[in-house]
Amino acid sequence: MGFLAPWFLGGLAALGVPVFVHLLRKHISIPRPVSSLMFFERGTQSSTRHRRLRYFILFALRSALVLLIVLAFANPFVRRAAADSNGRTLLIVLDNSFSMRAGTRFADAKQQAFAQLAAKPSSQKAQIMALGGQLEVMTQPISDDAQLRAALESIQPGDGHANFGELGRAIRTMSDTVHGPIDLHLFSDMQRSAMPANFADMVMPGNVTLLLHPVVDGAAPPNWTVESVDAPAELSDPKDPKRSRVQAVVAGFGTPAASKTVSLVVNGRAIASKKVDVPANGRATVDFAPLDIDYGFNRCAVRIDGGDAFPADDASDFVVRRSDPERILFVHAAGDPRSALYFDAALQAADQASFVLQSVAAEQATDLDPSKYAFVVLSDTVVLPSIFEHALEQNVAKGGSVLIALGTDAAHHAQIPLWGGSAKDAHDYARSGGPATVGQVDFNYPALQQENPGRDNGGWAEVKVFYAMVVDAAQARVVARLTDGTPLLLEKQMGEGHLLLLASGLENLTNDLPLHPVFVAFVDRAARYLSGSERLSGSRMVDSFVALRAAADPAGSVANVEVMDPDGHRPLSLAEARTVESFRLQRAGYYQIRFADGRDAVIGVNPDRRESDLAPMPPDVQQLWSGSSGGGATQTTDAAHVEGKTRPVSFWWYVMLFALIVALAETALASRYMGTQREEA
Amino acid sequence: MQRFLDPNVLAGISSLDLLAKTVVDGFVAGLHRSPDFGFSQEFAEYRAYTPGDDLRHVDWNLFARTERCYLKRYRGETNSQLTVLLDASNSMQYTSGPPMKMDYARYIAASLFYLAIHNQRDAAGLIVFDDEVREYIRPSTRQGQLARLFAGLERAEPHARTNFAKPLLHFQNFLQRRGIAIIISDFYEDPETIVHAIEPLRYHGNEVVLFHILDPQEIRPVMKGSAVLVDLETDQRIEVVPEYAKTTYRAKVDAHIEELRTRTQGAGMDYQLLTTNQPLDSALREYLTLRKAGN
Repeated sequence: MGFLAPWFLGGLAALGVPVFVHLLRKHISIPRPVSSLMFFERGTQSSTRHRRLRYFILFALRSALVLLIVLAFANPFVRRAAADSNGRTLLIVLDNSFSMRAGTRFADAKQQAFAQLAAKPSSQKAQIMALGGQLEVMTQPISDDAQLRAALESIQPGDGHANFGELGRAIRTMSDTVHGPIDLHLFSDMQRSAMPANFADMVMPGNVTLLLHPVVDGAAPPNWTVESVDAPAELSDPKDPKRSRVQAVVAGFGTPAASKTVSLVVNGRAIASKKVDVPANGRATVDFAPLDIDYGFNRCAVRIDGGDAFPADDASDFVVRRSDPERILFVHAAGDPRSALYFDAALQAADQASFVLQSVAAEQATDLDPSKYAFVVLSDTVVLPSIFEHALEQNVAKGGSVLIALGTDAAHHAQIPLWGGSAKDAHDYARSGGPATVGQVDFNYPALQQENPGRDNGGWAEVKVFYAMVVDAAQARVVARLTDGTPLLLEKQMGEGHLLLLASGLENLTNDLPLHPVFVAFVDRAARYLSGSERLSGSRMVDSFVALRAAADPAGSVANVEVMDPDGHRPLSLAEARTVESFRLQRAGYYQIRFADGRDAVIGVNPDRRESDLAPMPPDVQQLWSGSSGGGATQTTDAAHVEGKTRPVSFWWYVMLFALIVALAETALASRYMGTQREEA
Repeated sequence: MQRFLDPNVLAGISSLDLLAKTVVDGFVAGLHRSPDFGFSQEFAEYRAYTPGDDLRHVDWNLFARTERCYLKRYRGETNSQLTVLLDASNSMQYTSGPPMKMDYARYIAASLFYLAIHNQRDAAGLIVFDDEVREYIRPSTRQGQLARLFAGLERAEPHARTNFAKPLLHFQNFLQRRGIAIIISDFYEDPETIVHAIEPLRYHGNEVVLFHILDPQEIRPVMKGSAVLVDLETDQRIEVVPEYAKTTYRAKVDAHIEELRTRTQGAGMDYQLLTTNQPLDSALREYLTLRKAGN
């Protein structure tokens, strides 16, 4: 204990006042006359005792009052051993990524985290976070140990992929608002694969002291995993040797060369099993063909038999939906049979899709029902029968999709069907100095998706465009542009459905796209995207998102979506089911989903296979990471250096409050005493 | 009537004669309205005139009818002698609120003198004493006697201590004829001593009345805390606690009053306890009762 303003202690001289009044100054008693003392007896002894006692209490109160006021002004404080003495916040981050399921990693990490929490001074504020697929904040900075322990206890191992880069970004964001020093204790297996590509993403801000608590010592155990599975999401003919096959890649991490038995499981039943020789730290491919499945959703998995150090990643789930081939309605101008030919050829050349193209001229489409088709292609048909156009609009609003290709006819009509705007202009590149090329492509767009597009712009750079329409791009997403900036491919949301507009034709006249290989991939992906079949089955990665509806407030009646997780639980509340647009797939297993457009889906969800590489970060990298933080602390579980610090906590306010209570007591007692004196006077 | 006899009201009257007139007139007016206590100079008999008789008492109406001279005699015509012994010791100046005991005693004495001289035509005298006789006014019916008595009362300021033996001895020396002796005091003395000192008066056929004047606070003192008390006569100081004043003191005072009452009545004297907040009529009524009994 000490005083922040000790010079005020000089005020203790004021204690002399009550001492003088009570002890030095002789008490003057005003005598009271009576006629005779004949009947009175002396009661001095008792009276004096009472008075002395009362005077002593009064003297004590007055002295205490002076003392307390002086102490309050001197601003007393006590030193409290606490890490929050300088406002330090204890931040405990527990890794609950998929790799923590291996062995006793998660239990060990949790135990160490509890020990760290127990070592925390009770007054220090702490915060709990879980590092899985994303950084989850379990508590705000609080000092309630019970709440902190409960939050820590509630963290369970997940299926996500930890990313230390994301942790660094989150902490840097947090430090923008929390300016006090932070002690970050990371309890993790320090997986090497959790490191971001750029080490700078992991660096902690200056006010954060990073203390690493790795739960893995030494080399990682050998682990085999089904790294990837290439299987059709939809299958119409199981005997089709081209499509009815499953190709899986078995990978080994830190493994010796070994022969592994791999099984294909369909709806819980192993229908095929093969032996594969996996080289040391290598990969091996195994094929299962044909894929004999029933109609409907088939829950499939490729599984490595025999087990290893991390059995949780020995299987990869996926879903194959068997259905009859879906039809595509291709509406073309009466004088344009070429475009359907090219489109059908590309469709048949695709690996995955199983569609049947039905080609009709625009004037013959009057009685057709668009809802019976996977999607509709309008190839340079700017004039449609009104009945068909209306039916098409209704179908799109309910979730149907249309691919619109604009040829030379579009320039002669004011209105583009369904799109809602007219063609502003037409660029005839053939007459204006040469064909245009595709300059900008959004390879994240599903219809254009490419993993690693080459230097030739994914094949699009070779495409020559001779004639293109200029359309209103308002409220539309432009996913490909020509080199002059003219939008080539646009997407617009309409109700629950999609409109995909190609500003040029498919007839190999306005461009030479149908002659290029990229056309096949484009048609294949566009067909799968527009038909919506791509999202109905297959497999996804943990922490990926599924779009449940097109918009939060769709036109017409609000439809409920439904999600059932691998455990059979419905994670969405009723309110969320009416409003939520997308859903994050947090768990590995099979999800059942009913979309807002009424279509059902079953999706296999697998953890990120980077989690299967259990090798930890090299010690020097760990040292570098913790050394790059503000405090420069190295990994240790010793929190003693935190406990040794103290900070002064002033309690003048309590002293002043006590002085007030003493003042009230003194007033009451003195008033009573003075009242007696007045009466005697 | 009570309004005129209330000591608090009388304390506002500075003149003793006016005060006495107010009290007595009010008192007498009250008596006329009382059927139980009739009083007037009642006719007794006629007596033949003899030379030397006072002509003022001749019934001239009868003389006119019968041409005989008769004197009219009344029952109360027999004059009595009132002597008031007023204690003017220091203890009489005690007060817890107006009037002071000494003033209250003055009011009683003045009222008695007025009633005796003005209404009853009795001779009235005054002895003011403390530890000795400080003033003596011989009982008389002379012109100006009332004024002398009032002046004597005005001069009777509290002084010194009380001593009953010396003034009473003096009183016996001056006593020529029997009458009514009224002793007004707070009687802070042993009852036996008091009665022993006063008892000789009774032997001469006097009617002796003790008016015991006390302040209400002297009977039921209220103390909120311990206090130092000073004796007004001896200047002695003692510290007293409230608990004592509430219990033992009250018992002692009550016992003192009761013993005084018992002993005085046992000696053939009358005793009247008067507190300074009481109306004065009880004192006057006592006097008239004695006077009637004496006749």
